[in-house]
Amino acid sequence: MTRWGMVIDLDRCTGCGSCIAACHQENNLTAVGAPESTRDRGFHWLRLLREVSGSEREAKVRYLPQPCFHCDDPPCVRVCPVHATYLSEEGIVAQIYARCIGCRYCMAACPYNAKVFNWFEPEWPGEMRNKTNPDVSLRPKGVVEKCTFCHHRIVKAREEAAMQGREVEDGDVTPACAESCPAKAIAFGDLDDAESQVSQMSRSPRTFQLHDDLGTKPKVYYLAKTE
Amino acid sequence: MANLQEPRWIFLLQVASVAMMWVFVLGIAGWILHLLNLSHELQDVLSASVGISIVAIPVFLTGASVLTYVFVGLRRGREKDPDD
Amino acid sequence: MSEAHRLDQKEWLEPEFQDRDLLRSIEDSGVGFRVTTGLLMLVILTCWVLFGRQILYGLGVTGLNQPVAWGFYIVNFVFFIGISHAGTLISAILRLSQAEWRRPITRMAEVITVVVLGIGAFHPVLDLGRPERALNIFTAGRLQSPLLWDVSAISAYFMASTVYLYIPLIPDIAILRDRGAWPRWFYSFAAWGWQGTPRQHAVLERAVGIMMILVIPIAVSVHTVISYIFAMTLQPAWHSTIFGPYFVVGAIFSGIAALLIIMIVLRRIYHLERYLKQIHFDYLSRLLLVMSLLWFYFTFSEFLTAFFGNEPSEMRVFFYKFSGPYAPFFWGMVMCNFVVPVLILSFRRTRKIPGILIASILVVVGMWLERLNIVVPSLANPRLPLPTGFYIPSLVEWGMFAGGIATLILGFVVFARFFPLISIWEIQESREQSVRETTERLESYLPDRTRAVAESGSGGD
Repeated sequence: MTRWGMVIDLDRCTGCGSCIAACHQENNLTAVGAPESTRDRGFHWLRLLREVSGSEREAKVRYLPQPCFHCDDPPCVRVCPVHATYLSEEGIVAQIYARCIGCRYCMAACPYNAKVFNWFEPEWPGEMRNKTNPDVSLRPKGVVEKCTFCHHRIVKAREEAAMQGREVEDGDVTPACAESCPAKAIAFGDLDDAESQVSQMSRSPRTFQLHDDLGTKPKVYYLAKTE
Repeated sequence: MANLQEPRWIFLLQVASVAMMWVFVLGIAGWILHLLNLSHELQDVLSASVGISIVAIPVFLTGASVLTYVFVGLRRGREKDPDD
Repeated sequence: MSEAHRLDQKEWLEPEFQDRDLLRSIEDSGVGFRVTTGLLMLVILTCWVLFGRQILYGLGVTGLNQPVAWGFYIVNFVFFIGISHAGTLISAILRLSQAEWRRPITRMAEVITVVVLGIGAFHPVLDLGRPERALNIFTAGRLQSPLLWDVSAISAYFMASTVYLYIPLIPDIAILRDRGAWPRWFYSFAAWGWQGTPRQHAVLERAVGIMMILVIPIAVSVHTVISYIFAMTLQPAWHSTIFGPYFVVGAIFSGIAALLIIMIVLRRIYHLERYLKQIHFDYLSRLLLVMSLLWFYFTFSEFLTAFFGNEPSEMRVFFYKFSGPYAPFFWGMVMCNFVVPVLILSFRRTRKIPGILIASILVVVGMWLERLNIVVPSLANPRLPLPTGFYIPSLVEWGMFAGGIATLILGFVVFARFFPLISIWEIQESREQSVRETTERLESYLPDRTRAVAESGSGGD
């Protein structure tokens, strides 16, 4: 069975943020604007966590691109009152925008704060409306959303493979963040396929995960020489 | 008070209110069973639904039964109207 | 023959019978009622107009954000449902333990529960991003979610407390029907043919007996289940096993305080000094004192456990409350819930109505602060290295809070207009029967007479 996962190599990541820009573009995320951002309404499916360590003289900063981890035991799915967020058979924690009632329980329950909320109606002023990606639905105000591992690209890759009469192979599916990364720091694929790139990378000695001690079984792995 | 019986239409209104209460309670019981069925279909954890059903439905049925018992009991416990 | 017999018994048909005071709010209501109701409805209307902004523009008009995705609406949800425990729980426990001093209190207690439960239960709907989809709970709900446990428990409690309010209300409704109160048809409808016959009394007593037992586990489950909304997540300072009992204790605590405030205020407004006497307040405030000590025990236990474990995520929340941005709210809560009420209520000299009123108001404020201290700090301190969150409630949220309180007051004012605030028939019953029954009960506690004493007659009386 396919289990989609991601590996992010922090020794390659430069913190440039192009993954975030690509994600915004690909998934029709609006800009909330500066005033709203100062009210902690920043709206990103993929964010750059900044870990600062060391002393004042020798500060060490490390950037972690953090998407939704698509946990295999998701706390958000457990608490949703209406089956609006659920774990698909392929390991994607999906969101049904049309059913979400906006109670934000999943936001309160996620230990990684991976979910964001449409506090206002998303606006596409003027020409901006033309830049939306037709493969990804537009969300109304009052619903929760989050990173989908670019699920629409998975669907597209599957269709193309079917047209060519074959199965989806490793490397066929690339989420927008992985595609845009200039350092090729993000890899995506089937964790259940022992031969796939992500599978092999996830078994590297440099691997760690964020807060996997909570039992959420996240499917995003980080690689770093130092933890 | 010479006339101990209230008018007929008030009696019917009372019966209707008790009936409405049963509609409400049976509706809730039906809703809980619907959700139980839904969680079975979607292969969600069944034990939670079953647990809640076992506790909640009897509570609602008891409440409705008590109210009905009071209604019937009060009517039966009336003294016979000499005009009856 | 039977007619005359019944008429003699119906002393309440006399225009000025000895409990006439209890009917003043109904029979003598006038301009005061209309003005108060009008003002309250104006306040509530204003609040709804404010809420219109949220419907129009979205939850962005509140102070909520990511990470603090829950704020006033959830705080007030827990707060109002907490107060609802006053009523039914106190009235049920006091009835169950046959405490005779409960008689003038039970009606008001039961009304608080029903009114406040309605207000509280509506708050999560106010909090929804898409309230028109609230019915998805019914078509696509998940009973696995603590929110649905809430819906079930609160519905059960609402039904049980309404039944528990209504059944003992029936004889009083019959009194009003017999006195010809307006609207006649309504009292006739609601009295369910009550005549006060012995058989009817037996039915009523049995039904109240069943409900008072049923209501207690339901009430306990309601606030336990509300605590599970928080405790079932993995968030620091939420994921605690003490939450169930902690919330129930807190709810009873805030409920008694609210009941005391309402008793004191209504006693003054409706001139119920003959019925609500110093001793009733004395006993209830002793209960409040006990609950305050119990609350402190639970709070102390919770924080000592967190502190001793010194787990990083927990400690961030801990210091956020102890010495960080929420220190004023946290220490304010401790002062309002524990320090001042214990000082006031421990001594007979201060345990008089003014002191009790102050203590109760402080407890209600303190318990609201406790809900705030539970909801926001855990959300504001994410596990991941994200900036600490903050939450500044907006006008809409304050407005809905004010609206909730106004609705509570309105509920009481309207109830008092149509029904007696103190159970007339139970007061009468206590005059006729309870003194004798209680004396018999007390005598049964005394050691049995020996045969020698019994045979020699009533020797040493």
